[in-house]
Amino acid sequence: MKRKILVSIMVVLIIVAFAMTFSCQKKAAKSNMIVAMATDVGGLGDKSFNDGSYNGLLKAKENFNVEVKVVESKQQTDYVPNLSNFAKEKAKVVFAVGFLMADAMVEAAKNNPDTFFAGVDIFVDPNTAPKNATGILFKEHEAGYLAGIVAGLLTYKYSDALPNLNKKNMVGMVLGMDIPPVERYQAGFYAGVKAVNPTCEVISVVTNVFNDPAKGKEAAIALYDKGCDIVFHIAGLTGNGVFDAAKEKNGYAIGVDVDQNYLNPDVIITSAEKKLTEAVFLTVKSVIDGTFQGGTNVTYGLKEGGVGISDFHNFADKIPQEIKDAIAKAIDDILKGTIVVPATRAEAGYKM
Amino acid sequence: MNELLSIFNVELLIGTIRLSTPIILASIGATICEKSGIVNIAMEGVMIIGAFFSTIITLKTNNPWLGLLAGVMFAMVFSSIHAVATITLHLEHVVSGAVLNIVALGLTRYLMILIIGHPGTTDLVKKSLGQYKYAIPFLSKIPILGPILFNQTPIVYMTFIIIIAITIFLNKTKTGLHIRAAGEHPLAIETLGISVSKMRYLAVLISGFLCGLAGTYLAIENGTSFTEGMTNGRGFIALAANISGGWNPIGSFLASLLFGFADSLQFKLQASKIINMPSEIFTMFPYIITVILVAGLVRKSRPPKALGLDFSIEKTS
Repeated sequence: MKRKILVSIMVVLIIVAFAMTFSCQKKAAKSNMIVAMATDVGGLGDKSFNDGSYNGLLKAKENFNVEVKVVESKQQTDYVPNLSNFAKEKAKVVFAVGFLMADAMVEAAKNNPDTFFAGVDIFVDPNTAPKNATGILFKEHEAGYLAGIVAGLLTYKYSDALPNLNKKNMVGMVLGMDIPPVERYQAGFYAGVKAVNPTCEVISVVTNVFNDPAKGKEAAIALYDKGCDIVFHIAGLTGNGVFDAAKEKNGYAIGVDVDQNYLNPDVIITSAEKKLTEAVFLTVKSVIDGTFQGGTNVTYGLKEGGVGISDFHNFADKIPQEIKDAIAKAIDDILKGTIVVPATRAEAGYKM
Repeated sequence: MNELLSIFNVELLIGTIRLSTPIILASIGATICEKSGIVNIAMEGVMIIGAFFSTIITLKTNNPWLGLLAGVMFAMVFSSIHAVATITLHLEHVVSGAVLNIVALGLTRYLMILIIGHPGTTDLVKKSLGQYKYAIPFLSKIPILGPILFNQTPIVYMTFIIIIAITIFLNKTKTGLHIRAAGEHPLAIETLGISVSKMRYLAVLISGFLCGLAGTYLAIENGTSFTEGMTNGRGFIALAANISGGWNPIGSFLASLLFGFADSLQFKLQASKIINMPSEIFTMFPYIITVILVAGLVRKSRPPKALGLDFSIEKTS
């Protein structure tokens, strides 16, 4: 008898736990249009990817008085129901955030033809995709390229600029999982380093996890011990450990996705940025303007203001003008099309 | 070849200690718990609770020592749920453990939203236990062993002491022997007038203490913030380490150390670029080692006889 009671208590506990995890759906006042977003398993509060997209919705809310709804996916089987539920709630446009949601978004779009779906980091196949689904892609490689120029110049030619740089001519990268957006950053960074410093050695370590700072720290320490003085992380929350390692080992780091300098101002020189907020905002705007294009992909690169490199903050006076000029020139060349940044390791000629 | 050998340096071993410390603590927690007859798969959850509260309290008070205290205390409170469920209410041990793991993930997320305002990751603590690194005079000067063992952070030192203390406790003290008896032949010690329940409660609480330390280590000694799900399966690895270590603190320690070594080694190998393999294989390496260990060594070791068995007696008076 006792046992049965206890089992039922446990069941209730589980339900409560699940309810708690989903209780973070934000409610908003009544207004005309609903724009919704389903995050990837990383969830809100990652201070990078998901938060950046969410801020785009908040910006749309301020500007257009739309109602914002958000749900966080706890596991991959949540994707389709989360997306479809928003369609049932009569959302006008639903954002699926994250490469891993690609198939789920297309499926949800097919089932709910009256709702627009936009996938951040998702490539939709123009031949087969339904007309109400669009992919929002970024040229991460262009952001990585600019970060690579900073690292490539600082690590050797201008290694007197900062106290903890060495002459070993080696820079590193810590990767989360080896998925396309991460590879684009990686290929761009490699190309950037090599463009300004052809003899520089570029080493990558993959952690295969996006939320384990301890592993990120260990991976970065391995790189710093090896002789790298600057490490670029493309690892989400795992990257927080990279900053810890940089501090402990007296190295420098480059942040990713958003300007991460505030996280550890002593070691983060700059960040390769991907302006999710802007892209999401512009997508909402296109829906409101009636210019939303389905069945295709919209790519945000330097030209569209969708990627970039952040300020040097407290490093600004120490970074030589030549590096700032090199960045300006690279941006110019990319805009003019005289430089085409490779988007894959194969194109960049990089063997990890 | 020379390059391959150059990986095997002091840094590799320091990395080993860094990576294995949380696993050592949790696996010894598993050992003492299972010695008393209680199966504990909730270590993962207890570690998360410890990591969470240590960070929150450190953020609020700016004192990592209070954080440490809070991490350990909340972990003990949380693991006492397992004790009540399995010992007093006679619930199946695995069920309770599994539930606690899920609750811990949901609860920390919920509390993060409540306390910090958002899930994901917290702000960085201004002062971490990692800043209290202390080199013991003279001993830290010993070549190789010095920097590895005697130039460490607080919880690592505690871990060294705990390994020895728990070994002595389980083998040489009366209470320790009673705990072991509770896992081997509970009826025998109950007839001697010693409460099996009390011994099992004690063991679960000690394991909660150790897992709390492990979580605290991850959050505010090795790291500087709390990230949702940051234990990333270490509680389960600890469980495997306990089994392949033969339900023995020293064995658990060695098995955890081997896992940490394999993990440390794969990072150094990736950074050295000597071997060209897909990164996934590097990542799998420590886990494969664990599987081989469990498969290879477990036959030689024997779990406590009454492990996982419910114990209740009719009180006649």
